[in-house]
Amino acid sequence: MEQPSTDVIQGTLDMLILKSLSLEPMHGFGVARRIEQISRGVFKVNPGSLMVAFQRMERAGLLDAEWRQTENSRRAKYYRLTSAGKKQLGVETAEWARRTAAVARLLRAEG
Amino acid sequence: MSLTSLWRRIARGTHGITHETHANQDVRDEVEHYLDEAAAALVAKGMTPVAARRAARVQHGTPTVIREEVRASLWESTVTSFFSDVRYAIRMLRRSPISTVVVVLVISLGVGAVTTIFSAANAFLFKPLPGAADPSRLIGIDRIESRGNGGAQASHPYYLMLRDRNRTLSGVAAWSKTDLTITSGGTGRSVYGNLVSGNFFSVLGVRPAIGRFFLPEEDATPLTHPVIVVSHEFWRSALGGDSSAVGRTVGVNGTSFTLIGVAPQEFRGVFTPIVTSAWVPLMMQPRIRPNRSLDAAGASWLWTFGRLKDGMSRETARQDLIALTRARIAEGIEPEWMRNNDSIRLISLTGLPDDARKAMLAFTGMLLGVALLVLIIASVNVGAMLSARAVARRHELAIRVALGAARARLIRQLLTESLVLFALGAIGGMGLAIVSTRLLERIPLPMSVPLTLELSPDIRVLAFALLLSLVTGLVFGVAPALRASNPDIAGRLRNDARTGDGRRGIVSDALVVGQLALSLVLVVSAGLLLRALERGSNVDPRFDATGVATASLKSESWGYDEAKARTFSRALRERVEAMPGVTHVSYTSGLPLQWDNSNTYVHLDDAPPASAGKSEGTRVRVNQVDVDYFGALRMPLVAGREFVQSDDATAQRVAVVNETLARKHWPGASALGHTFLSNDQRVTIVGVARDAKYATLTEETPEMVYFALAQDWQAEQVLMVRTTHGADALAPALQGAVSALDPSLPRPTVVSLQRATQFVLLPQRVAAFVAGALGVLGLVLATVGLYGIIAYSVSRRSREIGVRMALGARPGDVQRMVVVGGMRLAGLGVVIGLLLAAGASRLLVAFLYGVSPLDVPTFAATSALFVAVAFVASYLPARRAAMADPLIALRAE
Repeated sequence: MEQPSTDVIQGTLDMLILKSLSLEPMHGFGVARRIEQISRGVFKVNPGSLMVAFQRMERAGLLDAEWRQTENSRRAKYYRLTSAGKKQLGVETAEWARRTAAVARLLRAEG
Repeated sequence: MSLTSLWRRIARGTHGITHETHANQDVRDEVEHYLDEAAAALVAKGMTPVAARRAARVQHGTPTVIREEVRASLWESTVTSFFSDVRYAIRMLRRSPISTVVVVLVISLGVGAVTTIFSAANAFLFKPLPGAADPSRLIGIDRIESRGNGGAQASHPYYLMLRDRNRTLSGVAAWSKTDLTITSGGTGRSVYGNLVSGNFFSVLGVRPAIGRFFLPEEDATPLTHPVIVVSHEFWRSALGGDSSAVGRTVGVNGTSFTLIGVAPQEFRGVFTPIVTSAWVPLMMQPRIRPNRSLDAAGASWLWTFGRLKDGMSRETARQDLIALTRARIAEGIEPEWMRNNDSIRLISLTGLPDDARKAMLAFTGMLLGVALLVLIIASVNVGAMLSARAVARRHELAIRVALGAARARLIRQLLTESLVLFALGAIGGMGLAIVSTRLLERIPLPMSVPLTLELSPDIRVLAFALLLSLVTGLVFGVAPALRASNPDIAGRLRNDARTGDGRRGIVSDALVVGQLALSLVLVVSAGLLLRALERGSNVDPRFDATGVATASLKSESWGYDEAKARTFSRALRERVEAMPGVTHVSYTSGLPLQWDNSNTYVHLDDAPPASAGKSEGTRVRVNQVDVDYFGALRMPLVAGREFVQSDDATAQRVAVVNETLARKHWPGASALGHTFLSNDQRVTIVGVARDAKYATLTEETPEMVYFALAQDWQAEQVLMVRTTHGADALAPALQGAVSALDPSLPRPTVVSLQRATQFVLLPQRVAAFVAGALGVLGLVLATVGLYGIIAYSVSRRSREIGVRMALGARPGDVQRMVVVGGMRLAGLGVVIGLLLAAGASRLLVAFLYGVSPLDVPTFAATSALFVAVAFVASYLPARRAAMADPLIALRAE
């Protein structure tokens, strides 16, 4: 149940969240905006799925959350990677690289 | 998933449930903030704040939708939504309190009926032995024939062999029922007790409440240890609950015994329906039951049970015991008839011996079937009501579907409602079972032994009632839920009650027909059983039971030997004969109609060839009776004479036979003066008595031989007194006469012969009572169902009826139309019910006393009753429909 790694979309979302948060703690919209910006708009994140992912990852101990003031002095829920989260990011990145490499090899062989 | 992370999920989830509002607020704030930030980003690109806000919502969704998505993804949402379903269900049920109460009541009746019967069956068949330690390892050991249905109790040598040589049981104990007279200053008390092996209590794992139980050496040598253990109840009622009673000397069957211990309150012996008051070591048998023998290989009168060793299976133990039994048979010590009993059956020790269990199982199985019918009728009824409700709520449900509720969610909601109803019904049914089992326990039974019934429901019964309700709730809730949540929203929003949804009509009609048919089966069964009871009570037993008082006298339990007992009964006869109003006094070894058939074989002299050649002789029913027996019963002799005082032990042996025996062996000639051999003694026939009913009312008249009691002495006898002053009024005088002769004797129980012979109809009585009560219940439920469905269809068709009346139909026409509709359903239900009943009544044959299972009066009367009830149930709504104002009916839509 921990890693439905066959489910590419969900797996990707978790990894993207972990990656975004590895730079600094962020609130929900910040994560969504970052994913959108860095992927240059290829990925659009739906807030529902994002928050479901936050809930799940928080319960799995990958994230910590706390309510904080934003720059424009509003209350927002900030997420931060835990050490387990950092480790998980490493695992997922490696796994992702392994898979994409495999897929790339397959595509080359096919061509 | 690691354990800690699992734990974290559970903890957070639980926190989410218990702090639901807080958790919801959290999500709400977060969503709110997200949308604000999104709007702010759009403002930064140059949108006006209002437009940005709207755009953010269009792009990302409304806060409610996002919140629902987040909430639904968590496991606790299933739990919280279940709770909210339950809350919602309770709100909905409270909105229509009357129909809710009716539904709950109907379910309670159905569940209560089944639970009551199950509770009784549970008490007899499944409850482990009360008071014993680890009762699941206790097993009753029955010695049986591997070919055939017979069985034999254990002899003492056989028991000792099993006890000492088995390798699979940690202990084997033996016991036997015995009559005891316990004297503790003043008059004795006549009670039932057990003769038990020394390890009886230790094998059971029972600990004494006071004092101690038997030591091994107290049951090792004959007559050396006169010690007794009494029940808690006996200690309380007869010994004043005084703990110093332990160590005291009490008289037991005329011998002094030392009271060494009191059993705990919850322990009621190993045969629980009979009140057992005391336990005495087997080795004291010559003082307690001198007519029995412990040494003889053929004297088998002990019950045995054992405790399985840890980890030992029943089958291993059975094989072990079978091997020992066959080895014993091979020794050739046992008499011929016992050697056929070469196998072993192990049964759970539940307080009833196996044969009684079987009879009980069949009987309660029948009653349980009847009760289940009631539950099905009740559930069908409830199913119909739920359907009607669901239809009435189409609008509400359609709106919820339109607002985006998933169908599965609605079904769950509706099922939750029916489960809540059935859970309430289970509670009601449990309450009903507690009350009704208490009533059942108090039904006075015409039995000569002191009975104690413990039928009260236990945790097993509670679980049964809950499970039963849950299953029926699901089964009968699913159909209405599926139908009501039908996703044809548009149709239903547009629609109103007008379009008679034909399918629904057919389903509810079928439900009503089914209910009527099933309850007809019930009422027919009850009717047949009542007819059987009536026929049974009207069967002429060919003797006159009225005006006869009886008292059981157990001289063996008084410690009397034969000479003393003879003197006593002669003296008692003289005293009783002198009482005013007394016309006849006699004694017998057994009263008639007690299901008790003692048989023996005799060799008839100069018998015709038919019975010659059979080495074992002629099998005859036997009874030992004293002077004036036939006079006391008003059972006249057709030839010869009664027994007289001179037919005593020193005189030539004489007998009276019945007409059947005389006719069979000396057709057309007198049986008087003929002789037969019984136990190598020549007996002369001096009289022929009229045929009568002996053991049961249905028996085929057996060949009967009456011996003179004075010549064939029996330790246990029943005094019979015919009086002109009323049998019950004689009790104090009879008891006074007994204690005047010996003040230490227990006061005998005096029962009129009429009451004593009612015993023979006991199963019919119980079955007719229970089936009658359940039948009435079923009829009421079915009537309510029919009335409800017709009233409902009238209200649905009010527009159609209005149109008809506006077009000139007279009230009488409308009324006729509705009644005919109802009667058509009723007719169909009755026909189906009659067919079912014809099949079901075959199962009752054993209880019917010769009443045909297709008894025409019963079937006809029940049909007439149902038609009449159905007419009333459809006439009432019909009249209302006919009185309705067509204008109002039309405007209502």
